[in-house]
Amino acid sequence: MAGSGSSEIVHSTAAQYAPWILLLPMLAFPIILYLGKALNGNKMWKDTLKEGGLIALGFMGASLVLSLWLVVDFIGAYGGTEMLSDWTWFTSSMWADGDNAVSTVSFGFGIHIDHITVMLLFIASFLCLLINTFAIGYMNTDPINDNRNHRFYAEFVLFCSGMLGMVLADSFLWLFIFWELMGLCSYLLIGFYYERPSAAYAAKKAFLTTRVGDVFLMVGLAILWDLFGSLDYAVVFDSHNIEAVANNSAGTLAWALGLMFIGAVGKSAQFPLHVWLPDAMEGPTPVSALIHAATMVNAGLYLVARMFPFFGHEAMHGELADLAFIIAAIGGTTAVMAAAIAFVQHDLKKVLAYSTMSQLAYIFTGLGAALYLANTLHWHKYLPDGTTNPEYYVNHGIVIVAFGAALFHLFNHAMAKGMLFMASGAVIHEVHHAHHHLHHHDDDHGHSDPEELVMLAKYLNDNDQTVYEFFKSIDLDGSGDIDMFEFQKALTASQIANLPPWEMTALVKAVDLNGDGRLNLPELDLALGRIISDLDHGHHDEFDAQSMENMGGLASKMPITATAMLVGSLSIMGFPLIGGFWSKEGIIANTWRVALEDPRFFYPALCVLLGAGMTGFYMSRMWLKTFAGSPKGEVAAHVHPTNTWIKIPLFTLTFFSLGGVILASMGFTHWAPDIEYGLMSDHGGFIGGFLYEMEHVFANSKPFFFILTYIAIFIGAIVGPGIALSLYGGALDEGETVKPWFTPVLALNAAVKGRYHWDNSALAGSGFATALSNRLYFDHYYDMAMLKIVAAFSNKAAEADASVIDGTVKTIERTSQDISTKLRALTTGSARDYILMAAVGTLALVGLIWGVVA
Amino acid sequence: MQQTMEPFGEGFITTFAPEFVLVIGLFTLMIAPNLGDGKFRLPLSQIRVPYLFGGRRGKLDSDPRLPGLFASFFFITAFGMALLSFVDGMNTTTVQVVDADNNVTNLLKVDEFSRTFELIFYGALALASVASINRLPATSRNDRTNAGLYNNRRQVDFYILLITCGLGMSIVALAQDLFLLFIGLELASFSTYVLVSFMKETKEGTEAGMKYFIVGSVASGVGLYGLSLLYTWAGSLQFEALTNAFITSGMEPLPLVALSMLLVGFGFKVSAAPFHFAAPDAYAGATGPVAGVLATASKAMGVLGLLRILIIVAAPEATDGAAVWLVALGVLAAVTMTWGNLAALGSTNPKRMLAYSSVAHAGYMLAAITAIGALNWEPAHMTESNNAALAIVTALVFHLVVLVCFKLGAFLVLSLLESEQGGHTLASLGGLAKREPMLAVTMFIFMLSLAGVPPLSGFMSKFLVIMGIVKAALIGSTVDGTIVFSELHWVWWLAFLMVINSAISVFYYLRVGLVMFFHEPEEGRRTSLPPGRSVRVAIVVCLVATVFFGVGANGLIALCESAANALLNVW
Repeated sequence: MAGSGSSEIVHSTAAQYAPWILLLPMLAFPIILYLGKALNGNKMWKDTLKEGGLIALGFMGASLVLSLWLVVDFIGAYGGTEMLSDWTWFTSSMWADGDNAVSTVSFGFGIHIDHITVMLLFIASFLCLLINTFAIGYMNTDPINDNRNHRFYAEFVLFCSGMLGMVLADSFLWLFIFWELMGLCSYLLIGFYYERPSAAYAAKKAFLTTRVGDVFLMVGLAILWDLFGSLDYAVVFDSHNIEAVANNSAGTLAWALGLMFIGAVGKSAQFPLHVWLPDAMEGPTPVSALIHAATMVNAGLYLVARMFPFFGHEAMHGELADLAFIIAAIGGTTAVMAAAIAFVQHDLKKVLAYSTMSQLAYIFTGLGAALYLANTLHWHKYLPDGTTNPEYYVNHGIVIVAFGAALFHLFNHAMAKGMLFMASGAVIHEVHHAHHHLHHHDDDHGHSDPEELVMLAKYLNDNDQTVYEFFKSIDLDGSGDIDMFEFQKALTASQIANLPPWEMTALVKAVDLNGDGRLNLPELDLALGRIISDLDHGHHDEFDAQSMENMGGLASKMPITATAMLVGSLSIMGFPLIGGFWSKEGIIANTWRVALEDPRFFYPALCVLLGAGMTGFYMSRMWLKTFAGSPKGEVAAHVHPTNTWIKIPLFTLTFFSLGGVILASMGFTHWAPDIEYGLMSDHGGFIGGFLYEMEHVFANSKPFFFILTYIAIFIGAIVGPGIALSLYGGALDEGETVKPWFTPVLALNAAVKGRYHWDNSALAGSGFATALSNRLYFDHYYDMAMLKIVAAFSNKAAEADASVIDGTVKTIERTSQDISTKLRALTTGSARDYILMAAVGTLALVGLIWGVVA
Repeated sequence: MQQTMEPFGEGFITTFAPEFVLVIGLFTLMIAPNLGDGKFRLPLSQIRVPYLFGGRRGKLDSDPRLPGLFASFFFITAFGMALLSFVDGMNTTTVQVVDADNNVTNLLKVDEFSRTFELIFYGALALASVASINRLPATSRNDRTNAGLYNNRRQVDFYILLITCGLGMSIVALAQDLFLLFIGLELASFSTYVLVSFMKETKEGTEAGMKYFIVGSVASGVGLYGLSLLYTWAGSLQFEALTNAFITSGMEPLPLVALSMLLVGFGFKVSAAPFHFAAPDAYAGATGPVAGVLATASKAMGVLGLLRILIIVAAPEATDGAAVWLVALGVLAAVTMTWGNLAALGSTNPKRMLAYSSVAHAGYMLAAITAIGALNWEPAHMTESNNAALAIVTALVFHLVVLVCFKLGAFLVLSLLESEQGGHTLASLGGLAKREPMLAVTMFIFMLSLAGVPPLSGFMSKFLVIMGIVKAALIGSTVDGTIVFSELHWVWWLAFLMVINSAISVFYYLRVGLVMFFHEPEEGRRTSLPPGRSVRVAIVVCLVATVFFGVGANGLIALCESAANALLNVW
């Protein structure tokens, strides 16, 4: 897409089937929802179909097969030319104006496929399938989800179809529609445990915060529509159209793109709209893995990447450099800020959440740098005046590699972060199980108490009433035992529930031990007393299965998970030769390249360099606290390996993260943004590509970049992890055996910690650390602003709404109903009256026709 | 390809295959249930010659479902044959009589327009007939007593009436002569009068049929009088002759009075206010499928008549810009749509509600026809006007086609409720979502489509109609590419009123959803509904069509465009 705009467009068979990639999950949504309702609790549904998990898996699998077919077709048969397929809702020549009867108006949905689409399509469909597999192992074994997993799977597939649709759409309008569909599903999934106030709050927060960005996006799109008269990629990316717009209203276009970028900031959780992402960890872990790491947050990046043709067009030369700087600066700020907050998190998933924010910020910085280069360099074959560009080859390479590095990092991060989240889910899952196993194996009845009884117990607890007093107050006839009717009255009086008779029977049965159909004091005391004592002693305990303070030494107990986590962490850190390294180095190098041109860019450039070290620290800290050292507490010592459904995706993704070097050697960074570049073509195949990449990264011929690379490696892979090694972890307990590849890591850890360990309590207790653990008070100030300004305004608006708008609507409604009654009263039911009315009508018609003519 | 032929000339039967299928069906239905082992004894001998008529009926032909199956088969075959005539292009065929003096009298004309309308008629009747198979109270097939036979005969009567109704409608679609058109109209109308009162055991049924008949015959009488005035004036009822007469002397009092009287006759058929009064009673008294036919096929027949008379006969271009009937029809449209919607707001009987909504839809269609009357036929705007007329007629035909899907579908859902004595109050729909979730969702989709929610076909039809009207109003109102508001033709306000009315209508359509999904079922209605397999099949067909014609409207729009072209080509 970055090449000339006149590339040939192909209609291939694979593209014809492309709409099914998103339609299949969309179809699965009602199917799973309906079957889940119909078969809820059914044994076959639960065990064989995994409450819809396998149905979802089937549909996602089919979707992935179609995606892969499309990808292969795209790379192989069509050598990377853009493909299109459209499905027209309706076309009509009837509205064509004037003499031009052949022109048609058409409405519909189209598929647009280019390099970026293909890359994200693969990420989305592949990860969705793996996370679906993971979810079967995670969700279906958690007793808290009893019989409601079909809701999870239904919302999950709908979400996937939103992501796939957004990637495939051929216009900004459809992109926006699917974008909002994802927003909705994200809300539903974060609030999956809606009975927890924190989850409900997090869901609302995520929805509203991203909505702030969406409003700007919508305005941006409206401006764009005003400029181009369409939101179809085919129109807005058309070279001549951009030229026309650039000549007349380049500034307006910059504003439109800027506003759209704010939408991306919200979706990808960047400063200052980042506050929702950590809270979103309230959702089940597969949701965190899917939405907040692998797919949805990429939507914002995708949107910015889609803007590339505007930046890269010669006609816009230099006009958008400021916007590119803003993108990079926001990215740089977020990268450092999120990494700093990640230092002090104890919650495993929260560390990953901040890490996600920080890594996305890297990509934004990389995109900002690439967009800046594209906007300020003459990198097209021909200069605006039509002469051949002498610097074409060099500049073209610079722009392409910068853009490619950002896209490649997107790919690497999605793979690694999806895996990290799933691995963390596996850890949490097993820690939780171990805890449950240790403390709860004898009293599992806590879950079987009828809800009304729990509410009644709470009611008594809150009102300081003893069971005896309560019993006396409801035993109306003083007979010493109460019957169902009295009990029902009492429940109604205390505003707990007004149950129908059949449910009352069930409730009484749960308490009635001697089976006489009536309740006496001992029975009630026994049932309520147990619940009350559970409430008093915090039976629903405060043990936090997500806290790293309760882990440690898990490397020997969960080898596959630990390996996955290690590889994922190394990839995120940018450890040489592993996954993220190839892209992160590119981002850092290109940001510095821009900084040499434009001093403003020193800010993001320093940020990403510093961030590399910080990433090294917090990722190492996370791994060491979780997997190295001796187990902190009894629970961590009793953790078992996880189940197969969870292992499969971890295993798969470990190889994908390790295999970053393969993709890099194939020339991914060149291929992803450039239409003229084939995979494995320009540097002499795979080996040549490998050598080219190695040479560029490790032995760059330009001294500046040569030194920069080694500084980055030193900071990111030695200083950051080194500090973490000296502070956390340590050798495992005696007698624990580990896989051979952990031995050097743990030995190094033990050695460094033994030699250089230092006391960081002063730092940890400092005001800055407190501020960090309070997330730099962003939430606090946002809440205050909301309360002071928005809430006050809302109250006024609500008043106005009630009196003016509702009043008007109600008046209209009442008046219409009155008229309706009067009109229907004319329908007397007597044929004579009907004929009379017909006669009146006839006279009126004669009068009207004759009268008008005469 | 154009061709002409004599009645019963060469190729007559193949050309009119769908109609002949119905005629065969009519005779089959008359004969088949009477087949038995009746024997005739040769006089003065002991030889008994079996003549297979009367006597003891066989097991098969005393099955009360047989007539329904037969009728459905013939309707579906007729539908298929009508559809088949579109394949390989339509042969436009005119049936005409040439007398000794070489005077040509056109009788019938087969073209895309008439065939499309026949598709509407046959489709609606086929669905009604399929839906009625288990719906009419019938005794078991093993009961071969007189009562069973009697009941069997009643089944036959019902379907015979449906078929005559279909035949009458086809004649209306094909007729090239106003008198022939009127005969077809009456044939269909008389069948519907009896069909409405078919449930003679119930008081409502008889009363509704009676009222419908009385008001209907008054309207027909007025229309017929108008027809006779036209004949007096022009000396012929041929469309071509009438068109020419309107061109030369259309402004005389006689044709104008005749025209308004004809409007009354057809106004009743499309249930335009204030000729609609009998309609809610009739719909409420008839069984669901019959009410569905009244609201769709019968209405399409009325619109067809109006199009023939107003567009072809009283041709607007003949009368200097605005058609003579422009104001009258505009007022009629405005009153009809508003009246229908406001009356529907307060209805608690879902069938009456649908009847009023049907009145409102009639208003929308009248508004569309009005817009054609407002077209400007000066040479400068000729092309634009042609396009606009094409757009409007296409929208109208499209609307009539998709109306069969969701309006008939809604009536069929109600007919399923009727089988448990429900369907007459909104409350009987209560809790349908709990009793039969799929049925409730289906009904809700029909309601959404009626309300015009995208991407359902109801949206598309409303959208096309409104766009058509706006397009007509825009002609001649643009100066240098920008629209001058004050130059807009006033039919624009009809489109505006239509939008307002659509907004009002959403209220009562969604109320059905509210009742189905959030109200508790009535006492005694807690289990699922009686099975009625054939009704459900018909409902599913309606549902699929409702969604399909909304999502994949292109094919249907093309078909309707060809129909509109065929009608307007006469100009």
